[in-house]
Amino acid sequence: MDLVQKEHDRLLKRLKASHGLKNVESTIDLLQSARDTIAADPNQAAVTLAKLQNPVKSSFDSINDSLKETHGGLNKYTKSLDKLFKDRPLPSTEHDALSNQEHLINRAIAMHLLREGQFSVAATFLSEIADQKSTIQQESISRPSEKPSSLLDIDEVPSTEIRKQFASMYYILHELKEKRNLLPAIEWSREHREALAARGSNLEFELCRLQYVWLYHNKSLEPTNSPGNWEAAIEYARREFSSFGPRYLAEIQKLSGAMAFIANLRGSPYAATFNNPTAWDEVSQSFTREFCSLLGLSADSPLYIAATAGVIALPTLLKLQTIMKAKRTEWTTENELPVEIPLPPSYLFHSIFVCPVSKEQATDENPPMMMPCGHVIAEESLKRLSKGGRFKCPYCPNESHFKDARKIFL
Amino acid sequence: MAAELTSIKLNPESHIILDQPLLRLPNDLARRNFKSVQRSVEREKEYVIPALKEAANASLSNTQTPDQTLAALDAMLSRMQGLKRKMQSLQEEERRIQNQSRKRIQHLEALHKIPSLADVKYDQWSRVRLDRLLVDHMLRSGYSESAKQLAQERDIEELVDLGVFTQCQRIVECLRQGETKEALQWCGENKAALKKSQHNLEFELRLQQYIELVRSRDQTKKIEAIAHAKRYLVTNQETQNKEIMRAAGMLVITPDTRAEPYKTLFSTDRWKYLSDLFIKTHHELLSLPSQPLLHIALSAGLSALKTPLCHSAYTSSSSNSASTATSVCPICSTELNDLARKMPYAHHSKSYVEGDSIVLPNGRVYSKSRLLDISRQVGSVEDGKVKDPTTGEAFLESEMKKVYIL
Repeated sequence: MDLVQKEHDRLLKRLKASHGLKNVESTIDLLQSARDTIAADPNQAAVTLAKLQNPVKSSFDSINDSLKETHGGLNKYTKSLDKLFKDRPLPSTEHDALSNQEHLINRAIAMHLLREGQFSVAATFLSEIADQKSTIQQESISRPSEKPSSLLDIDEVPSTEIRKQFASMYYILHELKEKRNLLPAIEWSREHREALAARGSNLEFELCRLQYVWLYHNKSLEPTNSPGNWEAAIEYARREFSSFGPRYLAEIQKLSGAMAFIANLRGSPYAATFNNPTAWDEVSQSFTREFCSLLGLSADSPLYIAATAGVIALPTLLKLQTIMKAKRTEWTTENELPVEIPLPPSYLFHSIFVCPVSKEQATDENPPMMMPCGHVIAEESLKRLSKGGRFKCPYCPNESHFKDARKIFL
Repeated sequence: MAAELTSIKLNPESHIILDQPLLRLPNDLARRNFKSVQRSVEREKEYVIPALKEAANASLSNTQTPDQTLAALDAMLSRMQGLKRKMQSLQEEERRIQNQSRKRIQHLEALHKIPSLADVKYDQWSRVRLDRLLVDHMLRSGYSESAKQLAQERDIEELVDLGVFTQCQRIVECLRQGETKEALQWCGENKAALKKSQHNLEFELRLQQYIELVRSRDQTKKIEAIAHAKRYLVTNQETQNKEIMRAAGMLVITPDTRAEPYKTLFSTDRWKYLSDLFIKTHHELLSLPSQPLLHIALSAGLSALKTPLCHSAYTSSSSNSASTATSVCPICSTELNDLARKMPYAHHSKSYVEGDSIVLPNGRVYSKSRLLDISRQVGSVEDGKVKDPTTGEAFLESEMKKVYIL
């Protein structure tokens, strides 16, 4: 990459210094002054034209010289690119597993745009999809013999309901992040109190607590050290906190207790609650997570995670592709990638169970089974070991019966 | 067997596999731009120098009136002025391309300053990359307006190739509507480069023009068709002999024929074939990959993330939307779930569970400490009980059983 940068800098310098155009201009000047001379005195024509030959020729030569230099620079830069990408060709494109799933990809993109708050782009995108769909439909009407199999199904596109949901999520987040206005978020969490409680979410309380802290800090964006506007905070607490009941009693007591330290909150045991610089980020993250979860969606854009994981995985997969080509073999199993791809820990969502006996990953057809001793193996291994009767656990002295083992869910 | 389960190592050099076209395309454009400067200079040189010599000779031998000499000089001047204008505009273009290249190099360079995949800066960089991939996908699918808007809103216009794809799309539109002019003009502009192409786009276009003339079944049109064939098709006899023979055969066949290959030749589907051929030729010429980069990234990513649990009939205990204890897996999320259905799942050679795993009487496995945490948070279960966050069932703490996953 350094080499590419260096060669490109050099190329730019060369282009800046290039005299090509200047030489063209000086040729024009030569011709023009000759023309003026001849026009003024036709008798000078022969001499002037004879004198003109060499200068014009040499100016063309210098145009070509400067072109040659540019050409050299371009070549060197191209070579540096070749070198950079030499062992890293783009993956071969013989088999594009996703090419006939265009509508699903477009749906994922539309959802991604909505999630990111790109509402106008999303709207344009959906209308362009609809336009293209209708032209394809028109064409297939004029040619009824053809089956409209590749048509986009409009139902696949995010519904108006989803769009509305994301619009309101974005509005709430915008108010929260940009204007430090927690009220829309609090309102939303109250509307969904039951669903949130079932998830074990503390969102509503977290939002109210932040509101309390914010009022205490006199609605200032940064925590202040001076005694805050405790009257407003107390009033808010009296009005709102009672509804939370016993579940958050300890927390509420803490918040009220802090009032005793108004003079020196920073030195008090409550400093962490009141001077938490990341409180707003944390709250908006947990709001996004809860909001998306209630819609059955992951908190971060799946499209983003998948594309990023894909680029991380590509070098390994490409290496694999070359090896397989050299050995003229195919993927051993269709269901599972043949190599392990290490991703950052935050990209692991599910627990993974690999049977210690067969080294296979558990599936619905071959689920993990726990023996009474607490050791877990895959069902197929269990069947093989026990032959349907009593057997010894491969990992401890315990003996048990096939039917004593229980299916577990990771 | 790979030793690491997870890794946050960032290798910037191998991380830019997908970014090849980002630097290649402007470089190809710059080279083409340079070639047209070179050609123009060469052309004017070949005109001006002999013309000047001739004028000098003529004026020496007095075979030319002064007016004629002036006229000859004026002709040279106007050609040089033309060259100057052309060079100016090409230089402008060159500057634009190289500026773009510079910004793109800087964008890739930024990756070298990011310490690891877990860094916030990587997240930002990767989001820009996703936006680039999305614009690329939109442009290739013909959603030009969406692409333009997204590029503008994300301020990545220098990192995407709106112009190149929009031009390509325009020609494709024309072909789909049965218009060959634009595509032929493009062939003319890229004549030299197209000589290396395996696809004989220009021949196919000329053949289509011929087919359209024959289709009308009008006698004068047929004569025109024969003239067209002589001029444009027969010149390719060495390579396209079979096609030329077939074309000749079409003269005596009616367009509603059911006999192959004439049926295919007369079919309006040929326009679709031509537009696909154009896209293929166009992308190859500019060393653009034939499939959207997003497809490459996604098919790798879906597999790398997918687990057998993502399409399981049972709700996964470790990732579901029923409780705050877990975050929803992107493959399980509605956006990608169907898309990932046919992909292979990731290979793992080792189990990956939290250290303090316990199993509940219903068979669900959780981290003990986390389960206790959530149960306390929820507050809705009595003391000494835990709540299964997935099913909502409550169990006695003593019913939690240690599970050994090796």
